Amino acid sequence: MAKVLIVDDTAFMRKLLKNILFGAGFDIAGEAENGKQAVEMYQELKPDIVTMDVVMPEMTGIEALKGIKALDKDAKIVMCTAIGQEKIVKTAIKLGARGYIIKPFQAPKVIEEIKKVLGQ
Amino acid sequence: MNKKVHLRAPVAVYYDGKWVDTELTVGDEALLIGKQVVPLREIEDLEEIEVDKIRCIRIKKGEKFTLQLPQKIHQQIFRYIAFNLKADKFAVFFLASATVGGVVSSAAHWKKGYFSVTDEGFWFLAPKMQKRIPIDNLGSVKKDVRNVGKKQRSVLVLSHVEKSNVVTSLLLCPESTLDMLKNYLQRILEKHKPKIDLSEDETQILTLVYSGLDFASIENIMGISTEKLNAYYTRLVDSGLAKVVKIRKEIELTPRGVNMVDKIAKN
Repeated sequence: MAKVLIVDDTAFMRKLLKNILFGAGFDIAGEAENGKQAVEMYQELKPDIVTMDVVMPEMTGIEALKGIKALDKDAKIVMCTAIGQEKIVKTAIKLGARGYIIKPFQAPKVIEEIKKVLGQ
Repeated sequence: MNKKVHLRAPVAVYYDGKWVDTELTVGDEALLIGKQVVPLREIEDLEEIEVDKIRCIRIKKGEKFTLQLPQKIHQQIFRYIAFNLKADKFAVFFLASATVGGVVSSAAHWKKGYFSVTDEGFWFLAPKMQKRIPIDNLGSVKKDVRNVGKKQRSVLVLSHVEKSNVVTSLLLCPESTLDMLKNYLQRILEKHKPKIDLSEDETQILTLVYSGLDFASIENIMGISTEKLNAYYTRLVDSGLAKVVKIRKEIELTPRGVNMVDKIAKN
């Protein structure tokens, strides 16, 4: 099963995504609290896909996306944004994000998007 | 009162628990249902509903009428009433259901049509789409700048609920209309705002329920007892933010039950 790295600065959102993805049979490779940790963990864990929050302390989701793409141009990253951050999403897509989910999200939609990006 | 009659069709009207067959006349100014005249401009609301698994039209003019029409003309009449009922209509471009449940809908496209406001809800109206959003389903409204037709334009972003999904739709129209609609919708939102201040735990529980997680998962994620979660659920239900759909039974085995399991294990 595909390994997912969950990146979000709130523990609650990480738990929620973890529960949804684990329930759908994905392996949770790890959890990162900020962009900097995300880049380090990506290098170490080599996940199949990353769910990346946009607004985070230390290093934003966009900076982390650039960092990960610099390490692996084929990295599959799905951005998690709130309604109203569509401009950021467009930037992310230009930078190589493969998809995005808008909060609040429902489990089936998240799973569908992740599977779509993974080509399943 | 009709100067022109567009269509006459057989119709069944749901009345007192049964269907009564009569005739519907659709005119330029009114519907004639049997002998009852219903002026189009006095129709306060229109809905598509199912009665006994049959697609029906429900119109409200003081009282509610449920009409069962021949299915081949159902949509045509629904559209005609939707475009002509009592409402303030604004010519707009709209992108209905641009995101559904947090995911961008590839099926959504900008349409030229009307945004229609009634006392009961809002409509996205175009020749091939008549979408009604009840007032209670509207979640938020705000102005934003989006790229439409390769230009940066001010749009109104509406979030609303459709079939338990949070959906966002966009409206594009002249700036003055946009501001007027925003203020109007925000006033309505304020009027319908639930009168409850949620704690952080309650906000999180609400999010988890929306995400589709069950009781046990929520208990686990929140790290709270069954009793406490039950108490939160009760408050959310009492405040009208949630409704009970299932009452679970928690059981433990009696000695007879334990003996039965013991036997099963030995077989």
